[in-house]
Amino acid sequence: MAAAPEIVPYSQVRHDLWRPLAGVSRRYVAVVSLLLAITLWGLFCWGYQLREGIGVAGIRRPVFWGFYIVNFVFWIGISHAGTLISAILRLTEAQWRKPVTRAAEAITVFALMIGGMFPIIHLGRAWIFYWLIPYPNSRLLWPNFRSPLLWDLTAISTYLTGSTIYLFLPLIPDVAQLAQHATGWRRRLYRTLSLGWTGSDREWHALERAMKLMAAMILAVAVSVHTVVAWDFSMAIAPMWHSTIFGPYFVVGAIFSGIAALLIVMSIVRKAMHFEAYLTPHHFDNLAKLLLLMSLLWLYFSFAENLTVWYGNEPKEMNVFGVRTRGTFSIYFWTMVFCNFVVPFVLLGIKRLRSIRTATIASVAVLIGMWLERYIIVVPTLAVTRLSSVSGGYSPTWVEISITTATFAAMGLLYLLFSKLFPIVSVWEFEPHPAEED
Amino acid sequence: MYLKGDFQDRSSAIRALRELQADGFHAADIDVFSDEPLELPRGVLDRPSRMSFTVVTGAVTLCLLTIGFVYFTQYNYQLRTGGMPIFSFWATGVIFYELTMLGGILTTLACFLWESGLFRRKRRIPVPVVVPGIISIRIHCTENQLEEASRCLDRAGANQVGTIGEPR
Repeated sequence: MAAAPEIVPYSQVRHDLWRPLAGVSRRYVAVVSLLLAITLWGLFCWGYQLREGIGVAGIRRPVFWGFYIVNFVFWIGISHAGTLISAILRLTEAQWRKPVTRAAEAITVFALMIGGMFPIIHLGRAWIFYWLIPYPNSRLLWPNFRSPLLWDLTAISTYLTGSTIYLFLPLIPDVAQLAQHATGWRRRLYRTLSLGWTGSDREWHALERAMKLMAAMILAVAVSVHTVVAWDFSMAIAPMWHSTIFGPYFVVGAIFSGIAALLIVMSIVRKAMHFEAYLTPHHFDNLAKLLLLMSLLWLYFSFAENLTVWYGNEPKEMNVFGVRTRGTFSIYFWTMVFCNFVVPFVLLGIKRLRSIRTATIASVAVLIGMWLERYIIVVPTLAVTRLSSVSGGYSPTWVEISITTATFAAMGLLYLLFSKLFPIVSVWEFEPHPAEED
Repeated sequence: MYLKGDFQDRSSAIRALRELQADGFHAADIDVFSDEPLELPRGVLDRPSRMSFTVVTGAVTLCLLTIGFVYFTQYNYQLRTGGMPIFSFWATGVIFYELTMLGGILTTLACFLWESGLFRRKRRIPVPVVVPGIISIRIHCTENQLEEASRCLDRAGANQVGTIGEPR
């Protein structure tokens, strides 16, 4: 076991945290190549869809929303890992957040980039997506600002802009330090990104003030973004979508899956980069407790949502409720309950079982469960039609499955490249302060 | 002319700052360089900031611009609605909210660049190299003040005191 970070001198901390930036191992190249190949395959599939038309996807009457919308909601949910968690912990001045925040903030930016692509993929004719942007076109027509699609555009653009700035600002002191030690193109890159940072008190004061304000604003934006995504559904008068609790229900689910994603990334980073001394069991324990809390909150919301429908006994709602819990989709529904509640409750609720390994296993289960939850929300409502003349189900095609797989590969790829360029643990924030760190 | 003093701990740096300010050096002429944020007690090198106010102003400004823009575009195309209102506050409220926040976020970035001085850096001013664990104090002074400033830094326990003139 490596020494605890609080007794390691600063030079050692910096050396340890910068170590992964130097050199490229064979294993790294192999993993990057594999992820790149899968990502390129996904891009090829998208290109195929653009050429052949949206018909190559499994979405057709009456199920017009399939994997793409499921993935959109899922990835936007994952994006809540970073900014929200980091912002909450920053505002509450939780000192244990320091090694965790950058890893989390990077997840946010990459997940948003991936999630934000899905509405464009789903459009089919992706090349005219800019019609959503308000600009004075030749017929003096403007986008419909009352459309939830435009809400998504503004919400996600704001969140992506804010998250990128929120990731970038605390990176500046680190890249300034790196610029002093790097050579070649890396030096030029770091110098450019450091914006001429000198480490003066004016700069530190401005950075601290800006980060506090950003944390407060990004928190409000993060909550609104997933609420807006929920409203995409609840604004439709459709069974089991038209619900007032969908906003908070989605936000809870997003934070839940975000924490799970963060735990998985931290676990991989800890192992692959040998950060055992910096990402300690203490950090995993705290995040595992948060995950357990969110699991219970998720259960509460799910129960409230389903109980209201069941008790109301409205026929159209009950049809959807029936296929979800007893019919075609019941296998997904009960797997979701098992993954989102049973697994975390057993592995994290029993103190004796709680460890880094079990927290990672529970997180993987939660991600599977949350993806299934999105599927359960999106597909059954459309598959159970309200007109007897319309029927049809949904089964994803190889194009949709390939694109979905590619997004996971893209996430891994972006993360690997980022962690090779920038320290994944904030060095300047990780000063060895024994009292604080403990 | 710029004078620099290096300190190994925070308390002696604070002592030096107090002595400098007591001897009449202005906060605007003093800069502290460190590799981590330095917590200074109130009254020592206070840096007044208008960031919060400016951010709120920026947010409100973009909100108002958005309301105006959406209002204009909704009425730009003459639709026959039978007297029903076109401009909907409820349905466009989400967009107003998001762009209000965007205004705040972008103003924060602008304020950070301005208040930190990164946006208006003067190349001529020499910057001490930040060594991990060392706190450097830089004072802008005249030749007459040089001796007094050096004495302040020495008395507070500076490791090394000297003039710096080469821009970094």
